[in-house]
This record gives sequence, structure tokens and C-alpha cells, in this order.
Amino acid sequence: MSFSFTAEQEELRQLVRRFCEEKSSSEHVRRLMDSDDNRDDKIWSQMADQLGLQGLSIPEAYGGSGFGPVELGIVLEEMGRTLLVAPYFSTVAIAGQTLALSDDEAAKQRWLPGIADGSLTATLAIAEESGSWELDSVETTAAQAGDEWSLTGTKMYVLDGATADLLLVVARAGDELGLFAVDGAAAGVTRSKLDSVDLTRDLGRVELDGVSAVRIGSGDATEMLVKATDLILAAFAAEQIGGAAKCLEMAVDYAKIREQFGRPIGSFQAIKHKCADMLLEVESGKSASYYASSVVAAGDHESSIAAALAKAYCSTAFTHAAKENIQIHGGIGFTWEHDAHLYLKRAKSSELLFGSPARHRERLADLVGI
Amino acid sequence: MTVQQTNIPSEIESDDDFRARLRTFFTDHHPGKPPRDPKERLAHQKAWNATMFDAGFSGPSWPKEFGGMELSFAHQVIYQEELARARVPGPMGTGLGIAAPTIIRYGTQAQKEEFLAPMLRGDKIWCQGYSEPGAGSDLPSLRTTARREGDEYVVNGQKVWTTQATNADVLFTLVRTGTQESRQKGITYLLIDAHAPGVEVRPLRDITGGAGFAEVFFDDVHVPVSHRIGEENEGWPLVRTSLGHERAAGAMNQAAVYRRVLDELTALARERGRASEPLIRDQLADFEIRVRIMRYNAARIISDILTKGEPGAASSVSRMLITAFEQDLHEFAIGLLGPAGLLTKDSPHAVQRARWLTGFLRTRASTIGAGTSEIQRNTVAEQVLKLPHDPGMPPR
Repeated sequence: MSFSFTAEQEELRQLVRRFCEEKSSSEHVRRLMDSDDNRDDKIWSQMADQLGLQGLSIPEAYGGSGFGPVELGIVLEEMGRTLLVAPYFSTVAIAGQTLALSDDEAAKQRWLPGIADGSLTATLAIAEESGSWELDSVETTAAQAGDEWSLTGTKMYVLDGATADLLLVVARAGDELGLFAVDGAAAGVTRSKLDSVDLTRDLGRVELDGVSAVRIGSGDATEMLVKATDLILAAFAAEQIGGAAKCLEMAVDYAKIREQFGRPIGSFQAIKHKCADMLLEVESGKSASYYASSVVAAGDHESSIAAALAKAYCSTAFTHAAKENIQIHGGIGFTWEHDAHLYLKRAKSSELLFGSPARHRERLADLVGI
Repeated sequence: MTVQQTNIPSEIESDDDFRARLRTFFTDHHPGKPPRDPKERLAHQKAWNATMFDAGFSGPSWPKEFGGMELSFAHQVIYQEELARARVPGPMGTGLGIAAPTIIRYGTQAQKEEFLAPMLRGDKIWCQGYSEPGAGSDLPSLRTTARREGDEYVVNGQKVWTTQATNADVLFTLVRTGTQESRQKGITYLLIDAHAPGVEVRPLRDITGGAGFAEVFFDDVHVPVSHRIGEENEGWPLVRTSLGHERAAGAMNQAAVYRRVLDELTALARERGRASEPLIRDQLADFEIRVRIMRYNAARIISDILTKGEPGAASSVSRMLITAFEQDLHEFAIGLLGPAGLLTKDSPHAVQRARWLTGFLRTRASTIGAGTSEIQRNTVAEQVLKLPHDPGMPPR
């Protein structure tokens, strides 16, 4: 078990950090938050053309640079720090990784190069009205007529679901669970943005009424989707611990300058102890996230344990850090002008999407045989 | 005494060879279960320490000159892993962890020769005498005095919370040689013979009902100046010395130990038919996460040392993680057992010799001893996060 990053990986982190700090300033996040856009086109192109971030974890054969979950985790940790508003998580961490896992060569050739060069956005739709990401709760159906498939059902809480060019949809095909590709603009697709608390990330509702779809891969997709879920969870944990680390930094920076009773509030034990506890969780969360990123590519039992663990722990750590950040900022932290609420909202929504900490602890208990 | 290192090869050996050699040794010489009687238990531990030392399997980071193994950090990690795997007690003690690094760094050659090897071999038991009734977290306010008389110091005062003092041969202490107002600038580091005239050790019964520590009284105790570490009045900076890397390697050992304790607790929950209850499962899963994170943290600390030469921020939080974990774990365990968890080890109805109840009581000390968790958090906040110093506290 090794946790050290190579010099190249450290360079990648610095590069992405500088980029995100410059391009995803508070002002910028707020501008996108108040508009209908879930990205800035110019920044999205720069990410693809100058930094190659969209293609980072996509195999070279499909136009990417062939790195793995560790590099993707580094990028997401940095994006999470600045709340970057972009369909990166949905397109690259979710859809890109899922597609790359499939054994469907035609599908990969058709869509992965577009994801890699930034010309195509995509997402994956699993959850439905029940709000569960459990594969056995999927009720959307896929009907076959000749070579054609058509999907019927309603998907909920789909990340960037209202705007993604390509929708990967999990649906029941008879006894099997299948993964299907649907053109976001296809006839019979009705989609809308859900009004939800995190203004920095879009959640969509997608109604499918006999929509024409392409099946990806053959046979039951459950095993592939479980592997994909592990990859997604590890990536999500990385993004969350990046946000948590930023909350700690904000709180500490403020505690050093804000004075009460004639001295910086950071000199009071009550504040020191909160910060020390946050550090404990941030550092432990990093360890959990780095470990998960390093093992999920294997797609084995250990991957599922590490991914569930990282999601459960990093979600909890992020929400805790975001709440403490507001508390330490006092009244100012409760205002709309201050960014602290943006982090709390991102943290809470990340905590409940793709399964709550309690749900992942339950999965972990199953996986380790408790 | 002569230091024999029969098992140390002259050439640098590969990781695998080293691991194999350790494994063979621990298997062949496994000391078996420690006896229940405290006196027999001490003799058992001493004999095992001597066995390890004589074979050259003690003091992973210590200089070879004083009986240590002088291992690379990578080999220290392997050593700790194999120790945990073999389920043998390690050659650690209060003296080894705290006094030895100080002597190695600041002691005279004569002091090193006199004290180090017998400590590592277990021939002499060392105890820490820092805390006093009025000086716990505020250690620089200590009042035990040492008055210079020729080539001796005359010591008067009292120490408390001295773990294992009833078995001690040597007390490593902090004493006041300056004025009370001089605080840490008037403190001297002194090694005191626990059997010297004027030293009185009174066992102190603790929360568990046992007497793990004691009060120690000094009444005109004569200590040779040659048993002073460092200069007079300059003992304070010596207190913080520790074998940082050995401790980091030890984190892996600790993670392995708690892994085992949690497995035993999970087995207990299953035996009692409680493991399928949702709240119990959630709590066990939470412990599972924390015990795994302990291992991940340890691995990360080790990776940082190997690649960057020093541990990162993860090392500063591992103690906080562990102390909270062991308190929560034991408290959960007695809750799981219900009223049966309240039975003491004297009851024939006690479950697993009341280890969980004893643990619940014993681990109250985890967030008090060796610096309270409050002080620990202050230190982390100031040293790692660089938060401003509390003006109500004395300067460092």
C-alpha cells in the first residue's frame, strides 16, 4: 500500500489548482449560479484544449491520455476546492468511466472521443422517484423491436440530466439490467432542471416515453455497473474531501484575522478545537480517498469496500467541515454574500447523492461480513 | 555489559529476507500468553525483552552500539508489521519511548553506556516522573526541587500518575533547579534511582480498581550530578525529543492491534445475535471505517517519510483518532453486552474476563495521559494549522 504521489502527479495537482483558482473564482461561480448555464464554454474548451482534462482518464485508443482513477481523483479534489461549475463530474467521472468499462467497442469508438475532446457532454441515469441508486430499484423498462430498443420510465436526480448531450440510462430489459445510450434531444425525452439546494450543480429529471435507445454491451450489465459505481464513488469522495479541505482553510484563515475581545478568535480554545477536529477528518478523509482511488481500478471486492468507505467518510467530513466553517465565520457565514453557504449546499447534496453515508456503511457491513 | 548481536547480518539484506528472518524468530521464540499474576507477568515480559535483545531483535531505530538494530525506516515498518502479525509484545515501554531518545540525543557517552542497553533488554524498568499534583498540563509549573551540593543534587518533592512506578528501577524526572518564576527556564532533567534512600512509592488505586500507577515522594534524595541529562536549568527542551520515525512505523503496529480488537468485538456481537440489528451494524461499520482509516493513515505517514523525508499532517492527527476510537469502541461493547457488560473480572458470569468493562474504564485515561486531548488539539491547531497562540497560556 503506497500513498505517495509521483512528481508528475504533484505537477498535475498544481496545474489544476492554479487553473481552478483562476477560472473558478467566487465571482465566477456566482455568475454561473445565477444564470441558466451549468458551464462557461470558454473555460470548458480551455480545460479540454489546453489541459486535456476531459480526456485524462479516457484510454488513448479513444483520444484520451489514458490515466486512471488516481489522476482523476487529483483533478476532482482540486475542482471540489473551488466548486467549479461544469459538467465535468457527470461527463468524465460518471459517463466517461462507465463507457470506458463497457466491452462495447462500437459504443466506445462512437462516444469516448467526443468526451475526451470536450465536444460531448454526458451523464448516467440510475435513480428514479424512489431516490435510490440501488440497481435493483430500477423500474425503467427497455423494450426490443428488431434491432431497436425503446425506453420508458422516469429518471430523477440525474447530474446535468437536463443538459447532457448523451444520456446513459439504466433500464430493465426483461430479466436483465441493461445500459442504454439515449440522445438527449431524441423524440420522447422530456427533461427539466430540478430546483434543488446546490446551485453550483444541476440535477435533472428525465422522462422517457418510448424513446429510441442503443444498447451498450450485451447481457446483464449489473457487474459492470457495480464496477462503474465504485469508480464513481471514489471520484466523488475525492471531490468532497477537496471541498472539506477548502472549508477548513477558510475557517482557519478567518480565525487568524477576526478579532473579538481584543484578540484573534483563533487564539480561543473553542475555535482551535473545532479546527483540530476538522483537520483530523480532512486528513483521514484524504487517506480514505487516496486509498480508494488507488484500488478501484482493480474492480474487485476490495474496490467496493474502499469506495463505500471513502464515500461514507468523506461525505460526513465535508458536511461537518462546511457547517463548522459557517459557525466559525459567525454572522457573516450565514449571509448570502459569503461563500460558506455554497460549500454547505454542495456538501449536503453530495452527501445524499449516490447513497447516503448510512447506506454506504450498511453496504460496507455487508461487504466485510458484519 | 557486552552487547551481542548474533542475528545481525553484516550485509544489507532484502526486505523479503528481513521479513522472513523476523518471522522465523518470532515463531521459534514466541513467549506464549502472559500470566495473569502481575509479578509473573512482569517476569514474563522481562524474559521476552531479554530474548529479543540477546538475539538482536530490539530497538529497531536505535544505534547498534547500544544494542539496537539501526534499521532503515522501511525495515522499521516491516519490523512493526511482523511484530503485530506474530502477536508478541514489542520492546516498548515508557522509558524506551520517551527517555531513550533523549539520552541518545543529549546524553554523555558514559550515560549512554550505563543506561541504554539495560533499558532495552528489560533489566531495568524505567518510569516517567514529569507530572505533579499541581502540574499536569501546565508542566512548567512543577515544584519538585533539586538543590546542588557538590557533585550531588538533593531532591525534594512529589510526583504523581507515575505509571508502573511500583516496578521501577529508574525514574526519569523533571525537577526545579531555578526559581518558581523561572518556569521552564529553571528545569533540569534528572535520572533518579528508584531504590535510593528517601524515595517512597505509594501505589495509587485507579478507576479500574487496579494500581497501574503511583505517587512518588522524594525526601532529601541524593542524586549524582553525572545522572543529569543536558545542562542545569536546560532540561525543558529535552522533553519533546522522541523517536519520530520509530513512532510513525509503530502506527502500523497499532492499526493492526485495533484491527484485531474490532474483529473480536464483531465476533462477540455475532455470537450474541446482535450483529444484524441495524443500529448495531451501523456502529460496527463505523468502527470498521475508522480502523481501516487508521491503517491508511499509517501507510500515508510511512509513504510521506519514504518519499519526502518527513511525515505530513496525517501524523499529527493519528493520536486523536486512536484515543477517540478506543473510548468509543469499549463503551459500545459494554452497551452491546447490556447488564452483563457491567460485571467485573471477579464475577464468574463476566464476559471475556470483563475486558470490555476494564477497557471502558481504562481508556478514560487515553484522553488525559501524555497530554490531554484538549492540549493535544491546541498543539495541532497552533503547530499544524498555525492558529494564533492563546495569550492565556504561557509562551512555548
